[in-house]
Amino acid sequence: MSRAIANETVGISGGREGFSFYRCITNTWFLYCVSLSVFFLVWDRVAAWRIFGDSLAQPLVVLDKLYELTQIRFAGTNLGGHIWASTRRVLIGFSLASAIAVPLGLCMALNRYTNAVVKPVFDLFKPMPPIAWVSISILWFGVGEFSKIFIIAIGTFVPCLLNSYNGVRLVEPELYDVIRVLGGKRKDEIIEVCFPASFPAIFAGLQISLSVAWTCLLAAELMNARDGMGFLIKRGMDTYQPALVLGGMILIALMAWLSSLAITLIERRLCPWKTGIENL
Amino acid sequence: MTPSSLLPRLKIHCEAIDKTFIQKGHVEVPVIKDINLDVAENEFLVVLGPGQCGKSTLLRIIAGLETPDAGYVLLDGQPVTGPGPDRGLVFQGYMLFAWRTVLGNVEMGLKLRNVPRRERHAVARRYIKLVGLEGFEKYYPHQLSGGMKQRTGIARAYANSPDVMLLDEPFGQLDAQTRMFMQHETIRIWEQEKRTVVFVTNNIDEALFLADRVILMEGKLPGRIKKEYVVDLPRPRDHGHPDLLRLREAISEEIALVL
Repeated sequence: MSRAIANETVGISGGREGFSFYRCITNTWFLYCVSLSVFFLVWDRVAAWRIFGDSLAQPLVVLDKLYELTQIRFAGTNLGGHIWASTRRVLIGFSLASAIAVPLGLCMALNRYTNAVVKPVFDLFKPMPPIAWVSISILWFGVGEFSKIFIIAIGTFVPCLLNSYNGVRLVEPELYDVIRVLGGKRKDEIIEVCFPASFPAIFAGLQISLSVAWTCLLAAELMNARDGMGFLIKRGMDTYQPALVLGGMILIALMAWLSSLAITLIERRLCPWKTGIENL
Repeated sequence: MTPSSLLPRLKIHCEAIDKTFIQKGHVEVPVIKDINLDVAENEFLVVLGPGQCGKSTLLRIIAGLETPDAGYVLLDGQPVTGPGPDRGLVFQGYMLFAWRTVLGNVEMGLKLRNVPRRERHAVARRYIKLVGLEGFEKYYPHQLSGGMKQRTGIARAYANSPDVMLLDEPFGQLDAQTRMFMQHETIRIWEQEKRTVVFVTNNIDEALFLADRVILMEGKLPGRIKKEYVVDLPRPRDHGHPDLLRLREAISEEIALVL
């Protein structure tokens, strides 16, 4: 079906075709399922045949371990408590850093004096891997919550700022001309063009930042923690429980995926004009 | 309909305009030189010239987006000092706001002037209808074809109710068929809503089909006005009309000389 005026056409939706075996096996969802099933099957067999000795647990054993942790208190709290401890750190660090970095990036792109003051210092810190901050933050802030949040914030800050800065810088300059020709002022250029045009870039930055935030969290918790998913992994390694290590890894991946999904949903809500780019 | 025979009011007056761009810090590139141009009220003027002859720069100077190095532009006798809502500009690259719907794009000029929502919707709807996009108000630019995008661009310029419409190669990115169709549409819209039009193009047929008067620019930098042709034929015109073909030949010869 399509809508058209004269010789110009806009497609609206594709038609549905009938069921056939060929269509079924070439269906993307079907292939997703096949791919995942094969993966878990291979994992299960490799573990069952003890190819890596005792150091690989079967998928169901990992699940069982995670279920067990929901029932008992492990190092002071149950599984939910550990998940929450980690998530809370990421949420606080990520929100704090992005709340500062995004506006700062916008200001740097819009005002060359701000840029001239902030950019040199920022460029100094930019290439430093955030995990390099782990030790110094423990020296500064001790082993408590704050040092972990600090590392997460540091890791989040850089991609957030870079993306909002570049988002504004890459706006088509002729769009500002449109606003000027329509009778708008500098203020209108910023509100009507600058911000909405840089939205997708800002969100791309938030996505990158979030994955960096989880990485930093893990680094901080592996170094030193009494709870959290990183702690579970560390404890699993120390006490030789591959099921616990794998369980912690899966949980972190799951939480990172969920939080990234949340950002995607917010972005879709705020930027309905953006044509969806399929994530891998 | 020559300006002298009917003595129409003078709308735009360009006096001895020069513009030089500075490239890579110090290389001076003279873009246009000594442009004198008068446009009468409600005249359809086409500026014809090959790429890189300064015609877009001339249009941007009239729009007030560039300031000339020498000379000045008068609009209704008042010097142009910057862009303003009395001149609407249609861009070659459409330049629609990707984050706004067709309606949102068309009403932008009114929104910037704080026209109440209900009123600006009404005005925007009227122009969306004028350009033939009724029913597409809620579409985002990426959902539209090239011709429809430029219709939106034209409606956006019109909705701001400018006295002068400036069109910078508006159909340059369209395929030949859509382009021809849009030329018919341009005339239809212009006859419904008469405005002074300055239309820049590099296409002779487009120029002859649309114009009351064609200004031929020199084919190299700095751009100067080479010659002027009055196209005194009724509309809608037929591309095969003998008078049109005669003019086309004359201009082609002139362009060959230019090159």
